[in-house]
Amino acid sequence: MSDLALEMTVNGRRVKRTVPPHQRLIDVLRDDLNLTGTKEGCGAGECGTCSVFVDGKLVKSCLMPAAKANGARIETIEGLAAPGDLTPVQKAFHKTGASQCGYCIPGMVMAATAALRANPEADLEEIKERMGGNICRCTGYTKIIEAVELARDVIAGRISADAFAEDAAVGSFIGSNVRRLDAPSKVAGRLRYAGDMVMPGMLHMQVLRSPHAHARIVSIDTSAAEVLEGVACVITAADVPGKDGFGVFVHDQPVMARGKVRYVGEAVAAVAAEDVLTARRALAQIRVVYEELPALFDAGEARKPGAPVLHDYAPDNVVKHIPIRKGDVDRGFAEADIIIEQTYQTQQVEHAYLEPEAGLAYVDHDDVVTVISPSQNITHHRHMLAKIIDRPINKVRFIMSPVGGGFGGKEDMIYQGMLALAAMKSGRPVRLVFTREESIIVTAKRHPADITYRMGLKKDGRITAISFSLLSDGGAYGLSTEGVMRKSAILSLGPYDIPNLTIDTVGVYTNNTPSGAFRTFGAMQSQFATECHLDIAAERLGLDAFEIRRINMMRDGASTHTQQVLGSVSIGRVLDVAEQASRWEHGPVGMRGPQRSDLGGDDTRAPCTLGARFRDGVGKTRQEVA
Amino acid sequence: MERRMRGRGVAASWYGIARTATIDRAGAWAELDDGGTAKIVTGVTEIGEGILTVLAQVAAEELGIRPEDVTIGDNDTARSPEAAHAGATRQTYMIGNSVALACRDARAKLDAVIAAHWGVEPGQIEAFNGEIWAEGTNLRMTMEEAVDLAKKRGVVPVGSGAFTAHGTGLDPVDGSGSPWQAYVFGCQVAEVEVDTVTGEVQVLGIWAVHDVGRAINPRGVEGQIEGGVVQGLGQALMEDYRLENGHTTTHGFAKYILPTALDMPQINTVIVEDPDPKSPLGAKGIGEPALVPTAPAIMNAIYDAVGVRITSLPATPEKVLAALAARAAAQQSVREGAQAAE
Repeated sequence: MSDLALEMTVNGRRVKRTVPPHQRLIDVLRDDLNLTGTKEGCGAGECGTCSVFVDGKLVKSCLMPAAKANGARIETIEGLAAPGDLTPVQKAFHKTGASQCGYCIPGMVMAATAALRANPEADLEEIKERMGGNICRCTGYTKIIEAVELARDVIAGRISADAFAEDAAVGSFIGSNVRRLDAPSKVAGRLRYAGDMVMPGMLHMQVLRSPHAHARIVSIDTSAAEVLEGVACVITAADVPGKDGFGVFVHDQPVMARGKVRYVGEAVAAVAAEDVLTARRALAQIRVVYEELPALFDAGEARKPGAPVLHDYAPDNVVKHIPIRKGDVDRGFAEADIIIEQTYQTQQVEHAYLEPEAGLAYVDHDDVVTVISPSQNITHHRHMLAKIIDRPINKVRFIMSPVGGGFGGKEDMIYQGMLALAAMKSGRPVRLVFTREESIIVTAKRHPADITYRMGLKKDGRITAISFSLLSDGGAYGLSTEGVMRKSAILSLGPYDIPNLTIDTVGVYTNNTPSGAFRTFGAMQSQFATECHLDIAAERLGLDAFEIRRINMMRDGASTHTQQVLGSVSIGRVLDVAEQASRWEHGPVGMRGPQRSDLGGDDTRAPCTLGARFRDGVGKTRQEVA
Repeated sequence: MERRMRGRGVAASWYGIARTATIDRAGAWAELDDGGTAKIVTGVTEIGEGILTVLAQVAAEELGIRPEDVTIGDNDTARSPEAAHAGATRQTYMIGNSVALACRDARAKLDAVIAAHWGVEPGQIEAFNGEIWAEGTNLRMTMEEAVDLAKKRGVVPVGSGAFTAHGTGLDPVDGSGSPWQAYVFGCQVAEVEVDTVTGEVQVLGIWAVHDVGRAINPRGVEGQIEGGVVQGLGQALMEDYRLENGHTTTHGFAKYILPTALDMPQINTVIVEDPDPKSPLGAKGIGEPALVPTAPAIMNAIYDAVGVRITSLPATPEKVLAALAARAAAQQSVREGAQAAE
């Protein structure tokens, strides 16, 4: 197919471009017009980060073929206000702290603008519904919705635009609601993330990934790919000049698969080419011969004798076992009036930051290998890459680009090594931007957990002993598993004074997607079990949920599960405040009966009901409390 | 049972601040610059939590200028001192305190010049919001003038700071040790509505109470808590990364379900401040701890609402319906057993 001639009005200016027929509107905006405020979060119309106006209608630009925009009037985040100025919606986002990482924010601002253009008097329910097609992973939406309501009221003239001004600091800037300094650049779409950055002569990288969960690599033939026009270089594990291996704790993962693949999606080879399409075509020319190996998909199976071994250094497939012992559990259980046993399971969870992984690497004039990426740990990445490429540490430079959401998921050096190798081999800048599918398949997840819990208590609610064990599937590589097992164990039994305890957390290798760092680093999994278990115990003993926690909570000077003596312990104060703030109605768990006054207060939201807006018409979606 | 049932649950939590079971450290440089502005250099950038604003507030407070006068950079291993990683709820604690110490170092150099100029003791010098003065006198000038004066006397007011958090490793046999020097505590209450026909759970309210040490930016703390709560809600009710023989079946947001604006509960945050005695700022942290109690509070609320205990996350509608059916069947067999006994 021949290229398309395209004429559009973009932010009030006429533009003419000739583009390849496969291009989407988002490609033209970002790549041809350099309007990178429009972000690509998923490429499938599911997240809303790429929202723009086409002839006044809110459209997800990743779903629109460029050809369909021919003759259209396009408005992007950059066109909402004059340079240096902000619209009321943008000012409101700044004021309320609606932007955190900022990656979803241009799309959110577009959706909010659309909502208020459609109905300047939109109420809370309608605003939420109209913003429902845009995902944010940082804010919990609260401050975003608050911003839209604030903008609505200022635009309608009900409140003064002074409401956008910063709260005055009284006597100190500590403790004052200083507006976020980075917010103007985020609400205006000006901030450039790694995937928005370009350099002259830049190449584009694509990665060949394993289709097998566990296989021996018999051979890799890159010759056909290397001779393809537009290909600058192809790299494999053979291009690593130094000691290959990275990981947050154990360096068990090669930059690209070395002899073996251990999970579906593992990098096997990479191509740097003049454009993404050429790089993808080159990937299709790489011939890899695999010999499939028996694979492990279950953490329990991994520990059985005779299980396939994933890493030679760990013949039992155990990444890390953390034991904690205190007191005498046998005596503790013997003293107990009741013993409660229960198992718990938590799942693997995707970080789902809106910014897919991206990076740009080059070798500078002083021969310094430089990688720009949203890495959460540039210090450690520099150490590891220096060994991998066998260069002195001051010849390796990491620059942390603005992170479009991390939550622990960007602590792993899973692609920066490939970028550095390609930049060294080609002598040119190289950029890699993951697709959403690639991000989901390749990167670490929250550790799943299988927990066995045994708790002994006296009739008065005092815990006499706990035995806790957690088994977790760490997946194909170690990443943060060791640290996650440690933190999970230390914090597992919660802020309670437990005289006798045994805690064991074990992370194992399997051929599943690796598990890694994720906000709470193992602590939510183990404390989830403890907090559910306390509720079961309270019900058995006829106690209130706050009461059983108060009976067992740590107090000032408490000795923790690892026998650390604490100073001030605020849990008592925190429980008191929570009980009061929530208007908690005292009563034994499971026995609070039908006569209650705590439910459905002004500090809760109305429930959504399916189809509400169709029954009552737009703008009248608030439902009666059931 | 009515179709829509409501209930409430509570969960508490605790968390350690900064890196676990090790010595954590971070460094920063500060310079009081021309025009009464400042440069702060530390090897970290924003991952969305608001650290740059927090650092600007800390620097402004310590230097006696305004947050908007502070320029922050440079997240670059070749241009800035080590800040180490952006994680472990360590940014405010580690980098915030390093910046405070670096600013105090810079201010001490400026204060010495100004005190000598005025003929007062350096301890009398105070500064806030772009003004510098000698306590107990009417001597006062702008920070712009003060920096200019220092430079004319040949002094560039630069400082550096490093902050250390002393954790110790765990004993390999009994796990004993002091993994952190600062801990935070939290508690959340959840109110849910369970649709007993569809099994769908809606979280209508969360009361989130968290000790953060000292809130540098209360609105930023709220933002962290609200984001943590909604991530916790996602894990509690819908998010589930699935694999079949190592291949994921949830490879996009159409299959991997995330909370949207329609799922968010009303979040009522209360910040508790129990300042850390071991650091200059007294602040601790909130990033990770915010989501620890959310999922169990929701599970306990589901139990309160409909009497079924979901012990395997997430509590999808299918799982809730299956648990309700199992509970109804168990009650039925109890009733039949009672009838048979009569």
